[in-house]
Amino acid sequence: MHIPDGFLDGRTAATAAALSALGLGLALRQVRRELPPQRVPLLGLAAAFLFAAQMVNFPVAGGTSGHVVGGVLVAALLGPSAAIVVLTAVLIIQCFLFADGGVSALGANLFNMGILGAGGGYLVYRLVSSRLRGLRGQVTGVAFGGWASTVLAAIGCAGELAWSHTIAWSAGFPIMAGVHMVIGIGEGLIGALAFLAIVRMRPEILAERTPASGGTLPGGVLRYGLLAALGLAVFVAPFACPWPDGFESVAAKLGFDRQPTPVAGHALAPDYRLPGIKSAVGATALAGALGTVVVLGLALLLGRLLVRKRRDLTKESTKEPPW
Amino acid sequence: MSGAIQVEGLRYRYHDGTEALRGVNFTIAPGECVGLLGPNGSGKSTLLLHLNGILPEKLLGDGAVRIAGQAITEGNLESVRRQVGLLFQDPDDQLFCPTVEEDVAFGPQQLGLSGKEIEARVDHSLGLVGLSGYGQRATHHLSHGEKRRVCLAGVLACEPTVLVLDEPTSDLDPRGRREFKTLLQGIPATKLIATHDLEWVVELCTRVIVLDGGVVVADGPTTDILNDEALMLAHGLEKPHILRHHHPH
Amino acid sequence: MVKDWLGHHHGFQNSPVHRLPAAVKLWAALAMIAGTVLVPWEWRAWFIAMVVLLSLATVLSRIGLWFLLRRLLLLSPFVLGVVLVNALQASVHKSWAELAARSGLCLFTVVLLANTTPFGKILTALRSARVPTLLVTTLALMHRYLFVLLDESERMRRARASRTFQRRRRMRWHVLGTVVGQLFVRASERAERIYAAMCARGWK
Repeated sequence: MHIPDGFLDGRTAATAAALSALGLGLALRQVRRELPPQRVPLLGLAAAFLFAAQMVNFPVAGGTSGHVVGGVLVAALLGPSAAIVVLTAVLIIQCFLFADGGVSALGANLFNMGILGAGGGYLVYRLVSSRLRGLRGQVTGVAFGGWASTVLAAIGCAGELAWSHTIAWSAGFPIMAGVHMVIGIGEGLIGALAFLAIVRMRPEILAERTPASGGTLPGGVLRYGLLAALGLAVFVAPFACPWPDGFESVAAKLGFDRQPTPVAGHALAPDYRLPGIKSAVGATALAGALGTVVVLGLALLLGRLLVRKRRDLTKESTKEPPW
Repeated sequence: MSGAIQVEGLRYRYHDGTEALRGVNFTIAPGECVGLLGPNGSGKSTLLLHLNGILPEKLLGDGAVRIAGQAITEGNLESVRRQVGLLFQDPDDQLFCPTVEEDVAFGPQQLGLSGKEIEARVDHSLGLVGLSGYGQRATHHLSHGEKRRVCLAGVLACEPTVLVLDEPTSDLDPRGRREFKTLLQGIPATKLIATHDLEWVVELCTRVIVLDGGVVVADGPTTDILNDEALMLAHGLEKPHILRHHHPH
Repeated sequence: MVKDWLGHHHGFQNSPVHRLPAAVKLWAALAMIAGTVLVPWEWRAWFIAMVVLLSLATVLSRIGLWFLLRRLLLLSPFVLGVVLVNALQASVHKSWAELAARSGLCLFTVVLLANTTPFGKILTALRSARVPTLLVTTLALMHRYLFVLLDESERMRRARASRTFQRRRRMRWHVLGTVVGQLFVRASERAERIYAAMCARGWK
């Protein structure tokens, strides 16, 4: 989902960059404050890890393959602020050394995959793991949060592309969201499996992250949620919400007027709307909600399958130091 | 008696409670070259990390480890690390800068030396290990032997009086081993070398300490200990071939 | 292929382009990209000028054109998909040709920059541009250990593949997850050893 140069116009790139810079600034400040010095090299190594992990391809139906982003996994292990810093490094190197993602689009890519994806996905993780206690809750949270991060990133991406008049929202959103609702399953699945493997091998990595009560969300986490919501409001709301009549002219002046639905758009996403429902927005929303509920159910099932009993896992690992 | 390294009753437990070191005692005089042997899991690497204060995580300064007569405390960590140069088992762990020059300069930079002094030390150290002109090379492009030599240069650039090495010849080909041995022989610092390479130890070290189960089980001249077949076998080692056959010299 | 890209020795060759200071090349590249992204499509002169400039730079850098173009040809399904949908749209503000031209030129600029400048020098340029130290250190360490981790992940996958006899899909996912998990654990253990090595040489 790395947007190249030239697909976003100046206004979109600048707005996304501003939002990302804000998020990154917050993240850096948070990391400097809470990360103990012996974890500083871990940021760089986690970035290398993410890159290597992103090379892992998994098959998606129809011969295509998706790959993981890994933001929520890193956020669950190291915290959302560290995850944002790590993802920034990954995106920068992918952009400059591998021509994957545009330089001018760095802000947008970071916003989509870092703030919407890792930040939003982490929020989902915390919500789920605070409702469902213990390791099972965490694994379920990583699974569902990972899926959510992929979908959120895709939505942001579609919004930015529509803002830039590269692709109409009416085509971009269904395709991006639809495809990534499927790819996201892989992200959630691999994330959960990896998370479980890590916690079993080295529980102490997580020990520092698990909040004592597990109930309330600390203010720091909400910050990214707010930023994500702001971005969604900026990039997505103009398209997703039907404008009340009075605003139509304003929207037209700003260039947000709805583009005529292309014929191709219908053909490409026919099954995204449930038959029998007249309102386009309503149908899309319902389909999306249904999909989300289904995936949540799958995530809960996964949690049950992977974490069978309540065991004291700390006794199982060999705690030899790394040397 | 104050030696370059003095270890007395050193104990250490891992996080899960297992005892890694159960009262280690030895003294190394300045200028000695001592081999540290022992089976895997005997605690060799853990012991080495105590010699420059990386372990224990909380320094109590109770005198279990003394460098040049001084116990290691939080306060004198800087000076201890200047005196004791530690070479890690995996050169990739130690070679964390992008270029050779930057990596060798890391130590001197931390010592607060001036730009010119740093340059001089870098050039000198690279010369010592036979890698002059490698300054601009990227660290991830080097061969394994070259990486080990750059690590040594990086440690030598701090001009330590004590050199501690953890398995320096693992993954080296025979030529690399020979070259490394010659390199080390040319360095006057006190040396403690943890290794499995028994042939190498015979050629390089005058004295050997055997560690097993967290305690010192043997400490003496190299040939005496390595010739004691029963002792060697009892501690997961063996008598090296170099001692099995009579050599004319 | 990825490791081949990382192992580009071209950064250390000798040519007029290579010899330019890294900061100059970085800012020039950024300016060129900004211009190519922002300039209206009607200003064809700009795009022609860019082609000329990049061709000149390629010739002067003595790196093979085919070598550089090969790095461009890796297009993700996402990019192709966007271009396709754009091409199929009835009313468009941007033609697919415009998309291709803008992104192609920017891509080529980045590829040229990456292959004529050692990454360490780019980092130094970033540091002097007051990019936060934590981010630069993270970039430096990531770049340094990318190769190492890719090697490890390849070895792990090969070892697993040698012991995988079942082709059931459930196993495959499980293996993927475990490999990814192990990779992280190894990365974090290595990070701790690196920290110890930094402390051993006086890091405060």
